Amino acid sequence: VERLFKDEATEEKGERARMASFVGAMAIADLVKTTLGPKGMDKILQSTGRGRSVTVTNDGATILKSLHIDNAAAKVLVEISKVQDDEVGDGTTSVVVLAGELLREAEKLIATKIHPMTIISGYRMAAECARNALLERVMDNKEDAEKFRSDLMKIAKTTLSSKILSQDKEHFAKLAVDAVMRLKGSTNLESIQIIKKPGGSLMDSFLDEGFILDKKIGVGQPKRIENANILVANTAMDTDKVKIYGARVRVDSMSRVAEIEGAEKDKMREKVQKIIAHGINCFVNRQLIYNFPEELFADAGILAIEHADFDGIERLALVTGGEIASTFDNPESVKLGHCKLIEEIMIGEDKLIHFSGVEMGQACTIVLRGASFHVLDEAERSLHDALCVLSQTVNDSRVLLGGGWPEMVMAKAVDELARKTPGKKSHAIDAFSRALLTIPTTIADNAGLDSAELISQLRAEHHKEGSTAGIDVISGSVGDMSERGICEAFKVKQAVLLSATEAAEMILRVDEIITCAPRRREDRM
Amino acid sequence: MASPAVQVAPRAVSSKTESYVDNKRKDDIRMSNITSARSVADAVRTSLGPKGMDKMISTASGEVIITNDGATILNKMEVLQPAAKMLVELSKSQDVVAGDGTTTVVVIAGALLKQCQTLLHSGIHPTLVSDSLHKASLKAVEILAAMAVPVELSDRDSLVKSASTSLNSKVVSQYSSLLAPIAVDSVLSVVDPHKPDLVDLRDVKIVKKLGGTVDDTELVKGLVFDKKVSHSAGGPTRVENAKIAVIQFQISPPKTDIEQSIVVSDYTQMDRILKEERNYILSMIKKIKATGCNVLLIQKSILRDAVTDLSLHYLAKAKILVVKDVERDDIEFITKTLNCLPISNIEHFRAEKLGYADLVEEVSIGDGKVVKITGIKDVGRTTTVLVRGSNQLVLDEAERSLHDALCVVRCLVNKKFLIAGGGAPEIELSRQLGAWAKVLQGMESYCIRSFAEALEVIPYTLAENAGLNPIAIVTELRNRHAQGEINAGINVRKGQITNILEENVVQPLLVSTSAITLATECVRMILKIDDIVTVR
Repeated sequence: VERLFKDEATEEKGERARMASFVGAMAIADLVKTTLGPKGMDKILQSTGRGRSVTVTNDGATILKSLHIDNAAAKVLVEISKVQDDEVGDGTTSVVVLAGELLREAEKLIATKIHPMTIISGYRMAAECARNALLERVMDNKEDAEKFRSDLMKIAKTTLSSKILSQDKEHFAKLAVDAVMRLKGSTNLESIQIIKKPGGSLMDSFLDEGFILDKKIGVGQPKRIENANILVANTAMDTDKVKIYGARVRVDSMSRVAEIEGAEKDKMREKVQKIIAHGINCFVNRQLIYNFPEELFADAGILAIEHADFDGIERLALVTGGEIASTFDNPESVKLGHCKLIEEIMIGEDKLIHFSGVEMGQACTIVLRGASFHVLDEAERSLHDALCVLSQTVNDSRVLLGGGWPEMVMAKAVDELARKTPGKKSHAIDAFSRALLTIPTTIADNAGLDSAELISQLRAEHHKEGSTAGIDVISGSVGDMSERGICEAFKVKQAVLLSATEAAEMILRVDEIITCAPRRREDRM
Repeated sequence: MASPAVQVAPRAVSSKTESYVDNKRKDDIRMSNITSARSVADAVRTSLGPKGMDKMISTASGEVIITNDGATILNKMEVLQPAAKMLVELSKSQDVVAGDGTTTVVVIAGALLKQCQTLLHSGIHPTLVSDSLHKASLKAVEILAAMAVPVELSDRDSLVKSASTSLNSKVVSQYSSLLAPIAVDSVLSVVDPHKPDLVDLRDVKIVKKLGGTVDDTELVKGLVFDKKVSHSAGGPTRVENAKIAVIQFQISPPKTDIEQSIVVSDYTQMDRILKEERNYILSMIKKIKATGCNVLLIQKSILRDAVTDLSLHYLAKAKILVVKDVERDDIEFITKTLNCLPISNIEHFRAEKLGYADLVEEVSIGDGKVVKITGIKDVGRTTTVLVRGSNQLVLDEAERSLHDALCVVRCLVNKKFLIAGGGAPEIELSRQLGAWAKVLQGMESYCIRSFAEALEVIPYTLAENAGLNPIAIVTELRNRHAQGEINAGINVRKGQITNILEENVVQPLLVSTSAITLATECVRMILKIDDIVTVR
């Protein structure tokens, strides 16, 4: 037969292709499996790039997204974890573990000559049934503000308990809930700013109502301003250059050069005066403010902050209700930002500028303190997860119990479905319920507990109607989850269930992998 | 709400009979992490204490550093193993938080890891160890706080004592009687009475100058520039009743931002241009002179020459002392000290923006020269310390030691408590935690006992480095503490155990507490790692 592909392209078919994707997906799932649950372990990510930087993390999405992966199926799993991260922020490990388990079960079924399509339709039925089972058991405390807040606290604590912040989860849960409550239902986490400052301990972290900019105030300018009118700008403060390439000045005497220099200076001065004419007392520029304008601002008693980073500028404009300006000819059309007080504060060894009483009441800043950058980075990731989950929960206030409880509920429902369903599909449904059980199993295993014993106890508990039993990892036994205050957001669980099933389905459908010939790169070296 | 979960913990002796998990690889990684982190700790162990030894580090670029400062040693070691790197980070954090105790924190972390290794071998789950360590560290901080003695900032003696404790373990220890008061005075003079808890060490400038000995180090109430006065054109080098201007513009022929070229078509034009240049500069200098200014500090410029030979010449004629190439970063410090404003345009050159000082002079020190500005009117809350040393190595180490001493004083300003040194707090912690462990039940008690044992490493190492018999010393120390002498510690100079508070060996509470909490946090992090993944 003539070759269909180019020289270096490869093709794997049928059984081999399926095996390759199964193996890849399961390897990925096993890699992150140990990070699951409150007693999950962390991983060191050692970069092979320059500096060989080290990251210590427990976050599934972070681990997966930095891996080198060549296996197509494994890439699909990385992808779903990313999507989970974007959508709900938490459960990034669970989704990969569940998908991996579904595939592991599928592999066994295929070995017993069940067609992949049958497995897929079985999985679909099972997923639908599991979702309905969860829906029946959700709790919704939206009406009762008091209870809702305590729900949020519980969710935050549950999320944080598997992270580095677990020891101080009470403190951070409160931080996160306060921050999210300020957002009043918006899921825009932009206005929550997280600043990391090494030094102190995690307990020293705090929530600040306002905005903090990590910059310095210009020399000789006021360090404290009340009722500030802020102009946020992105403009070059040096002379407005003639931007035509090759433009040059041709003169015949030194005094003319001095005149032109003077003219350039005047241009700067004019610009500064235009800016001052806006009636502001604080000017923040994304680009540099040079010495000359800085002095002019100082003379006018205006606080000028230069070289604020892009992110900082946008946020500042957002929270103070201003707009980023770059031309200053029409003072009326420029929207100024406002805040009650600007002052210089000191955190650790660094001086920062604090804007309080800002226009947008939702805005707040969380200042994280910690022993080292590793701790801070990981703390930021954990807090971000918690914030994501909470902001989702504020919109969709349905809440479930945690600690393996949802999985047990789902497994029970799916089991019943399997018994009712005739035909080969029932094997697949059965397999689905087994895969669900691996989540509590893994949580128990990671905690060094006897998972087989615990899971069987748990199953017996759940045979009773309306049981609230789950794994209490701290005491290492089966316990009442509602009593322990372990809660999870329904949205997270649903996303885990659905996207894991979809990913497994997608990988199952594959029967051929074609690797294209890599594009040749010419050696320019 | 987490409390119910914690309360049930003690009764949890679960049916841990036949769990089987294949954890071999994970254990291997954890063990290799612990081992490499411990070897880092061992490397700096010998530099602990007043009789600790120094390390000579030869960097890749051929530079040689001799130091006793844990943070510096670790920083230059260039370790690659990720867990070992975390210990380096740990010492950096201690440097940021407290500035001193950078070796102590690493040594404690090493000892804790050693204990953890034993605990892990006996099959205790790492997270359990980690949680217990956290509890123990909280308790330890409590105990330390109870031991501490409050100190007032007006009590200069106590501050000097603690600064000299820190200096005693450095290369420059013989100068501690000189450097300690300098450190205390310079920190106290920058404390803002409105914000009594904050000290910005950036307000203390350390200027190093080779030559002389550390003895010649002095505190200057004013400014010192490590620069020469520009007197190539014969300008003054000493000005009394100085009126000082800090300028950010250049006294040189004009230059535009747009590319410029002057077209000269004949000989007479050339003459004219030269004359114009002269007039241009002369008019600038006249304006400067008109305000009565007689000292110019000129910021470095990358765009064009800050001063030219011609302008220097005219400035010299006008009897103006010129210091050029002042860095932009220093401008804030300078203006704060001189209580003046920077001037960035000749048009704005007004008398009210000038600073005043009694004397500006160039002083030759060793083979170099520095410019000193003293007797500043309305001096800002800043100080300058001029550090001297006979060679670069001593000079650098003196600077590092002085920085540590400054940090120690700063810690005391932040948290006004002192604690005994010489291993006393550690042995007391060890004793009290040991007693506490006996009250507790289960794994927790076991882990906390190990924590208590690990803390003994500090007195042990102190004694060992001083050439004493560590076991004899530590056991005696333990004995004395058991009899209620909580301030008994190792007196390294006498080689015996005395009441360390009476010996004036004291350190800030913040140094001890942050060493314990940071070390525990780092160890907990290492314990929780079960895999190293190589990524892009």
